[in-house]
Amino acid sequence: MRDMLRYYLTGMKIAVVEQFQYPAANYFYMIGMIAEPVIYLVVWSTIAQAQGGAVGGYTPGQFAAYYIVWTLVRNMNIVFTPYGWEFLIRQGQLSASLLRPLHPIHGFISYFAGWKVVVIVLWLPLAAFLSLVFKPELHPTLLQVAVFAVAIWGAYLIRTMLSWLLGMVSFWTTRVSAIFELYFALELLLSGRLVPLSLMPLWVQQLAAYLPFKWAFQFPIEALVSPIPPAQLVAGLGMQVFWIVFSTLVMQVVWRIGVRRFTAVGG
Amino acid sequence: MMNMSLFRLAFIYFRVGALNELQYRVNFFVQLLQSFIALGVGLVGLGLVFSHTTDLNGWSRPELLAVMGVHILMGGLISAIIQPNMQRLLDDVREGTLDYALTKPEDAQVVVSVREFRLWRFVDVVMGLIVLSAALFQLQVRLGVWQALAFVTALLLGWAMIYAFWLMLTSTAFWFIRVDQLVNLFEGVYAAGRWPVSVYPDWLRTGLTFLVPVAFAVTVPAEALTGRLTGQTLLGAAALAAVLLLLARWVWSRGLRAYSGASA
Amino acid sequence: MPEREAGLGAALKSLVKRTMREVKAVDRISFEVGRGEVVGFLGPNGAGKTTTLKMLSGLLYPTSGEVGVLGRVPSRREREFLRQITLVMGNRNQLQWDLPALDSFDLNRAVYRLPEAEFKRTRDDFIELLELKDLVRKPVRNLSLGERMKMEIVGALLHRPGVLFLDEPTIGLDVTMQKRIRSFVAEYNRRYGATVLLTSHYMADVVALCKRVIVIHHGHILYDGDLSGLVERFSAYKTIGVTLAEADVDLSAYGEVMGKDGGRVTLRVPKAETPRATARLLAELPVDDLTIEDPPIEDVIERVFALEAPQEAGR
Repeated sequence: MRDMLRYYLTGMKIAVVEQFQYPAANYFYMIGMIAEPVIYLVVWSTIAQAQGGAVGGYTPGQFAAYYIVWTLVRNMNIVFTPYGWEFLIRQGQLSASLLRPLHPIHGFISYFAGWKVVVIVLWLPLAAFLSLVFKPELHPTLLQVAVFAVAIWGAYLIRTMLSWLLGMVSFWTTRVSAIFELYFALELLLSGRLVPLSLMPLWVQQLAAYLPFKWAFQFPIEALVSPIPPAQLVAGLGMQVFWIVFSTLVMQVVWRIGVRRFTAVGG
Repeated sequence: MMNMSLFRLAFIYFRVGALNELQYRVNFFVQLLQSFIALGVGLVGLGLVFSHTTDLNGWSRPELLAVMGVHILMGGLISAIIQPNMQRLLDDVREGTLDYALTKPEDAQVVVSVREFRLWRFVDVVMGLIVLSAALFQLQVRLGVWQALAFVTALLLGWAMIYAFWLMLTSTAFWFIRVDQLVNLFEGVYAAGRWPVSVYPDWLRTGLTFLVPVAFAVTVPAEALTGRLTGQTLLGAAALAAVLLLLARWVWSRGLRAYSGASA
Repeated sequence: MPEREAGLGAALKSLVKRTMREVKAVDRISFEVGRGEVVGFLGPNGAGKTTTLKMLSGLLYPTSGEVGVLGRVPSRREREFLRQITLVMGNRNQLQWDLPALDSFDLNRAVYRLPEAEFKRTRDDFIELLELKDLVRKPVRNLSLGERMKMEIVGALLHRPGVLFLDEPTIGLDVTMQKRIRSFVAEYNRRYGATVLLTSHYMADVVALCKRVIVIHHGHILYDGDLSGLVERFSAYKTIGVTLAEADVDLSAYGEVMGKDGGRVTLRVPKAETPRATARLLAELPVDDLTIEDPPIEDVIERVFALEAPQEAGR
């Protein structure tokens, strides 16, 4: 267990050192990503104003808060892309990592985790700028901030597992873009990324409750932005834990089957 | 510079580009799927907006559908012709492989602007036209000759401005090496064109008009179809397009000069 | 047919060229090449050969000095000029990767505006010369490296340019392929009287094709003239090959021992001492066979480049 911890800390440290050398590249990427939430923010604020101040329980100020925090959560959701699997398999890196005693996913988790630390640091001035421009309504309690700080990492882990699961489709077929693109579209709609789920029709909200997507995206945002009672905050963290554990178990099962198939085929 | 040579070369290279793409028919289906999914998401978004309101900043639902149609159409034109050429130019400048383009007996700017062509992106052009038609049908608009002409003109002018913008942006690679990140920004900014620019706060609207000419690429042609376009705006678009093209040509020439003096 | 121009060729005077890192890639180079000449540029990597070629083809312009090719300034990249030249770089492809070479040839025809009948004649001619008939319909990516290079050269010559700039055209190819390409270039030069400027690492290219050689090192011209003259000027040694009746005799007293191959020993002897060393060998040892040769050109070149370096360091 000790070794594992040391492994993770080393991996994260490497990532931090590396990524701090490219602040410009990281910033450009983040700025490019801002366009999306700004568009959503502007459109929904306009609607809110037209509808007499609020829509779906959100005022323009609350929309601003939602979408600004969105930018950090979105960054926390960026993990190893499932499209990268074909690359891993073809280039033989997967075979190579199978020969090592540690499950390859740990390498990815630790590296990206370190990277996220850098992203968080770089994000703060960006958030300050966006707040100046869009004037969000944000009055979180201390508990909310604490839950948020934990929830973003929970989101990161959920998304990592889901992405890994998705990527493993590559063990069975190379025609993956259809599956991936459909997945991303569903995720966009059901996670709270396009709009806060309270703006969706009721049946969509009910569906989303049973899926992991919203716990990787909407929950951390709302933990900070919406007045949620403490009991519900803690329950939310519990849901995150549930989904992490569940997806990890599924992932391990699929991984075993997939690797067996992969090595049998002689990749 | 704007002589027949441009069209002749464009035609030659597009033909070769089409020949290339036809070899990979599977890419057609991939593109079709991606376009459908994007359309689906867009329609969901539109539906969502209109489940909470009846109009957005004075634009009705079918009018916004028309904007979406133009957005998809223009997006197809950009990703079929402008983007692949600028991407290749960027790679060539960075790796110093621009040489073959410079030894052809044609204007180098023309060569680097037309030599790549992604046929399958035209799926978006077709899809955009279909969405547009649906929108116009819902608006019960009978398209007069002048309106149609104004639309096509606005479209071409908008496309020309986007081209000029891309060329200037890519040309900065002659001086600054790490430009590829800037290119990613365009995707994000272009997404803003999904909605008419009047929705955005003033400062953003100005940026989307004069900094990255998305307004002229999408909103203005859409205005032509929804009866909001004034002759003034169209004239202004023509003037701005001319200015941007000349500016782009100048930046390109300076960049080429720097390239020819510096590399070995 | 292109019109006759007086003083055709390349003339460079007093050139100083700086790159971003303030390195003089080419320093005070001056030469003239006449129409129809085949000139080889020799030099190690970074010597300035490719820079020179790029200046002649218009890809680079000099910091100072003049460049003139076919009576024009290359860096102006005038259409008429570009129509009469061609650039072939051994490690960079121009042909469309996924399409048969024929399609790329058609593309070139359109770009260079070649009349159809003439184009077809030239194309079919070249295809036959290089025995490419069965390969032109295969996608270029399916061709071997050598076949690809042959296609590249055909494509580059379809517009029958009068000046050829060839930058390492045979790099990475096997010996047979190299020979084919060399003979094709020689044939083209013979038929159309084209001027050929060639850079290469392979001495065999230069020896086979070029009567005139320009040696460039550290951006300077070290030698400009006949190939044979190069050896004369730079080699201070001769190679003596001795086969003795006895084996394992130490010959180091007679000269520098370069190698032993069975009974045959190769000695390197300063030019001035060669007659005396030869006489001594014949007199003092049981010699079965003795040859006196100029050192291989590769060795000469190698020494030339190694020789100049210390001097440069002193600048």
